[in-house]
Amino acid sequence: MAKNEPRQHTILITGATDGIGLLLARAYAERGHRILATGRRMIADDMAYFGLPNITYIRADQSDPKQAAQRIATAMYNLGWKQLDLAVLNGATGWTGDPAAETPDEIRKQIDINLTAPILLSQALGPWLFVNGGKLALIGSTAIVKGQGAFATYAATKAGLDGFARSLRSEWQDRAEVMIIHPGPTRTGMHKKVGLNLGAAKAFFMSPKRAAKAIQRAIRKGDGKRFVTRGYGWGSIFASAKEGQL
Amino acid sequence: MRALITGAAHGLGRALTEELLEQGHEVLAVDRDTEPLDDLAVKSRGACSVQLVDLANPNSLERMLVGLWEQKFDLVILNAGISASGKFEDIPSAAYAKLIAVNLQAPLVLASGLVRRGAMNNKSKIVFISSLSHAVGYPGASVYAATKDAIATYAKSVRKPFRKHGVGVLTVFPGPIQTDHADRYAPPGAKASRRMEPEVLAKLILKASTGKTSELYPGLTAYFGKLYGRFAPQMATKSMRKAIYEKLEDPVY
Repeated sequence: MAKNEPRQHTILITGATDGIGLLLARAYAERGHRILATGRRMIADDMAYFGLPNITYIRADQSDPKQAAQRIATAMYNLGWKQLDLAVLNGATGWTGDPAAETPDEIRKQIDINLTAPILLSQALGPWLFVNGGKLALIGSTAIVKGQGAFATYAATKAGLDGFARSLRSEWQDRAEVMIIHPGPTRTGMHKKVGLNLGAAKAFFMSPKRAAKAIQRAIRKGDGKRFVTRGYGWGSIFASAKEGQL
Repeated sequence: MRALITGAAHGLGRALTEELLEQGHEVLAVDRDTEPLDDLAVKSRGACSVQLVDLANPNSLERMLVGLWEQKFDLVILNAGISASGKFEDIPSAAYAKLIAVNLQAPLVLASGLVRRGAMNNKSKIVFISSLSHAVGYPGASVYAATKDAIATYAKSVRKPFRKHGVGVLTVFPGPIQTDHADRYAPPGAKASRRMEPEVLAKLILKASTGKTSELYPGLTAYFGKLYGRFAPQMATKSMRKAIYEKLEDPVY
């Protein structure tokens, strides 16, 4: 497996238009890496949106998993990348409410975006990752631990990623490093997007900045499975990487 | 009692259907291949009705759901499942899409739809079939493992909300079963005699479905598998790698 030597790495980050994905893209770009950022939005001017020249954005809507995987692979080819050092599959969506009220379309959409897309994407990325023992980091959620009555399908898709990562880590053990990182509740725009008003509970949530920092630490360390709780977030305050490191 | 069984034509589904009919209950048996069910329908003199549904096809699934709103069930066993075994990168993406549709999407759509439309009687039960892979991992069938972990967590999540609708939830984590399905996906040389007989498993599931159990690891293999996975999760996955992944030949999907 490749050492974490300082150099320019090639990094793919999905769901990079908001929240943790956006912070990760900027943090890695600031350390001199080349980033391919993806999301569902149309962005006319990458430079104006991300503020850094080494981030390239392409639109890849994960609600069509096969097409999204193809678009991302094509974009890497067009960038002239010969290998991929790190992929953070972070893009996800949610729905909240009584699980009995969840319509077939809502269920299908979450499964496509949160589970099928990362799986098909992992398959497309394999050959790129194998070149130099790259890292594949799947982003889950601590919701999988006890289940979540108000986010039943969301929790299920994240548990699916957990099981997928566990088995794939073993399958790919000599070729690439597969990880699953489960962030705890974080103050990102996701809750608002799915129509959930957090109120006072927000005070107990991690800031997206700290979550992003903790996730970078977990990726550097390369744990197979890591719960990014508030405690781990606090523990990551001084875990800064140098120029050229992941 | 009136029951709905998906994947009722073969293996565990068939054993469940036969056992329920034996006990004098009514069964709506659903499968994409209904021919093997015809003899049961005739023999049961109407207690067993059969419906052709392809759970991989969302339109077929939705048509079935609309037909179910008028009915009432006391027991629903979401048993239908397929697999895809082989190295992760050797299986075409279309097979993964189908696997996820049948093993994950269909049970979620069915469970929430039946509860939402009031097709479940008060004090009824929905049974989800996960897998022992939830405890030990499954290198060589990583997407199958993903769907079964997802089912287990979905079941855990809906337990409380469904209880408010009068519906209980049971999750089953079976180890290897002696079925044609298992023979198809198992690596060459695997011993069928060490797997559980579907008739035995069917009895255990039906017994648990009448009680308060929320999770069932049936039989000794599943029980020890669960312990192994809990106390030495990494070692358990390593053992599975040795038993399955390293013996794989051509992918089966």
